[in-house]
Amino acid sequence: MTDFTTRYSYGGDEFIFVELSEEMTLEVNFQAMAITKKLREQQMPGILDICPSNASYMVRYNPDVLPAAELIDELKRLESSAQNLDDIVINSRLVDVPVLFEDPWTHDAVMQFRDRHQDPESTDLEYAARINGYESKEAFIEAVTGSPFLVSMIGFVPGLPFCFQIVPREKQIEVPKYVRPRTFTPERCFGFGGGFSVVYPVQGAGGYQMFGISASPVFDKEQKLPDFQDSIVFPRQGDIFRYRGITREEYDDVRADVEAGTFAYHKKDFTFRPDDVLKDPAGFSEMVLGRLYHD
Amino acid sequence: MKEIVSSLPGVFYRRPEPDKPVFVEEGDEVKAGDTIGLIEVMKSFQEVKAEADGVIKSIKVEDKAVVDAGQVVAELE
Amino acid sequence: MINVLKPGLQTTVQDDGRVGYYETGMPPSGAVDQYSYAVANMLAGNKKGAAVLEITYMGPALEFQEDAVIAITGGVIPPQINEAPVPMWETLEVKKGDVLTFDFVKQGARAYLAAAGGIDVPVIMDSRSTYTLCGIGGFDGRALQEGDVLSIGNMQEKEVKPGTRVTGEYIPEFSANHEIRVIIGLCSYRLTEESKQRFLDIEWTVTPEANRVGYRLKGERLDFVPREQPFGAGSNPSNVVDLGYPIGSIQVPDGIEPIALLNDAVTGGGYAPVATIISTDLNRIGQAKTNEKIKFISVTLEEALEARQQNNRKLAEVKQMMQSS
Repeated sequence: MTDFTTRYSYGGDEFIFVELSEEMTLEVNFQAMAITKKLREQQMPGILDICPSNASYMVRYNPDVLPAAELIDELKRLESSAQNLDDIVINSRLVDVPVLFEDPWTHDAVMQFRDRHQDPESTDLEYAARINGYESKEAFIEAVTGSPFLVSMIGFVPGLPFCFQIVPREKQIEVPKYVRPRTFTPERCFGFGGGFSVVYPVQGAGGYQMFGISASPVFDKEQKLPDFQDSIVFPRQGDIFRYRGITREEYDDVRADVEAGTFAYHKKDFTFRPDDVLKDPAGFSEMVLGRLYHD
Repeated sequence: MKEIVSSLPGVFYRRPEPDKPVFVEEGDEVKAGDTIGLIEVMKSFQEVKAEADGVIKSIKVEDKAVVDAGQVVAELE
Repeated sequence: MINVLKPGLQTTVQDDGRVGYYETGMPPSGAVDQYSYAVANMLAGNKKGAAVLEITYMGPALEFQEDAVIAITGGVIPPQINEAPVPMWETLEVKKGDVLTFDFVKQGARAYLAAAGGIDVPVIMDSRSTYTLCGIGGFDGRALQEGDVLSIGNMQEKEVKPGTRVTGEYIPEFSANHEIRVIIGLCSYRLTEESKQRFLDIEWTVTPEANRVGYRLKGERLDFVPREQPFGAGSNPSNVVDLGYPIGSIQVPDGIEPIALLNDAVTGGGYAPVATIISTDLNRIGQAKTNEKIKFISVTLEEALEARQQNNRKLAEVKQMMQSS
């Protein structure tokens, strides 16, 4: 990232948009996390929203209280102090997310919108497997489920987690978005677009490739489930999600628990430093899975 | 003569669905409250209704044309 | 109580917005035209932040079950009480049994109806605003329907005399040609210099896909600077690594049909935003109707702040007039 100068830009008179990098890396996401965490801790008067995203972040402020120039000076100061990620500790959760791949509901949606897809002759999963060099869709699913993902941003609609896989760069999966966005995506659909996997919180429009459906919700406006007592959205930036392929039988069991209001995610609280990840992503992933399922 | 106006800006449809017949043709008799077309705006459809009994003298807007609020879409006799 | 006899096209409960949840993907919602919203509340003698009805294109029919004081501002959707026209931008008295209806929209797109005391719905995440996409806030999380019964709350701070009105420069005028001021920026570096200029030169038309989430506009195709797409962005030249979208930001998916995001915005995504509407003019774009024209005017932050001060000053002056009335 030595060849990129951070762009500070006005989003009208109430937003400052800061683009740390044009490309996605784990490192730049940790930087955005570090800067926004420090900014949050300062509790500067006049700041309304702090929104970390994948390779950038955004601040909404009240210019009647806090002049833009003053805010940008502070953000620049925070940026230089976050160059060194050593002193950042991320409070995270390791979470098991059960996903039924190639489920009937997603498959229906996949078939309904073939005319908006790059390759109408294949399913989204077959297409993604092929262009990423996997010999079969099974091998591709194994790659998706084999290593966990960092929740790198929340947004689009409430609770939608953008997830970036914790693997070395050469193993990272990348797929295009639909040629034209769909008008329908099933609720809880597990999708992939650009370098990110997502779970769609609610039914709606979408442009990501569709691979399956998460049995567990990421959004619960009634706050019935124990994991949603504090917030109607479950994911938080910095969480580590492992998408685990499940059978139809397990899917039905989880759905019954969700309906009964008894479902709780299998998860563990976990703190880590960006360096732990950046030095050895594969080793970190393996350690994390051990913690989640065996410790 | 009475005018039937659209209360909304949007796209005017003469048919309930693309493969269905039109709601009314010129010369048709209509009763107050009969639907003569649909206006699509903000992803919702609103019916345009005749406010009185009569015969459709003319339809002033083509199928799928864009109309403004208050625009005359048909005339009744 | 107010009985909803007819709901109108899309009538929702709105206030000054749900601020502080953007990072969870929750947009602020709230009245799109915050100026008209604030003046309606002042004319009704309400505290700042009281909830009102936002009326879009086609007004509702409302029957008052109690005596009330109301005010209607915003786009010209002419109100009538018991079928007799009544003025907008004025404190009005209604009696138990009165029916409020509206004529066809004449100017603008959204009117605001404040009742002294405010519309009383539960406060969800610090706001009474409706976010219909996820069914949050307002009246059951949705637009009003026939048969709904609204309660009036206790957010009145002052009795404003019926007949009190604002006039002249305090009433915004909406034509069918809207000049909307923007600050060019965000990922505008993705557009070619030629397209950046054309973005400002083109007279854009508001499509029927124009709602509280965003306004889709029609004009000409814009071109992006060719590049090898950075990792994670996706393959279309209009794609960027998914980022946060400011309220008012304008993106151009695939170079065709720009989308300007309003109060129920999607909070982020992977299309390059190239400019942001200044806060003062967010009030105005929400008053643009389908088929009307929009031209974007590029301004500096200083000019945007000047417009903002002027808007704040106007509101303070209206407030002052109410105090002395």
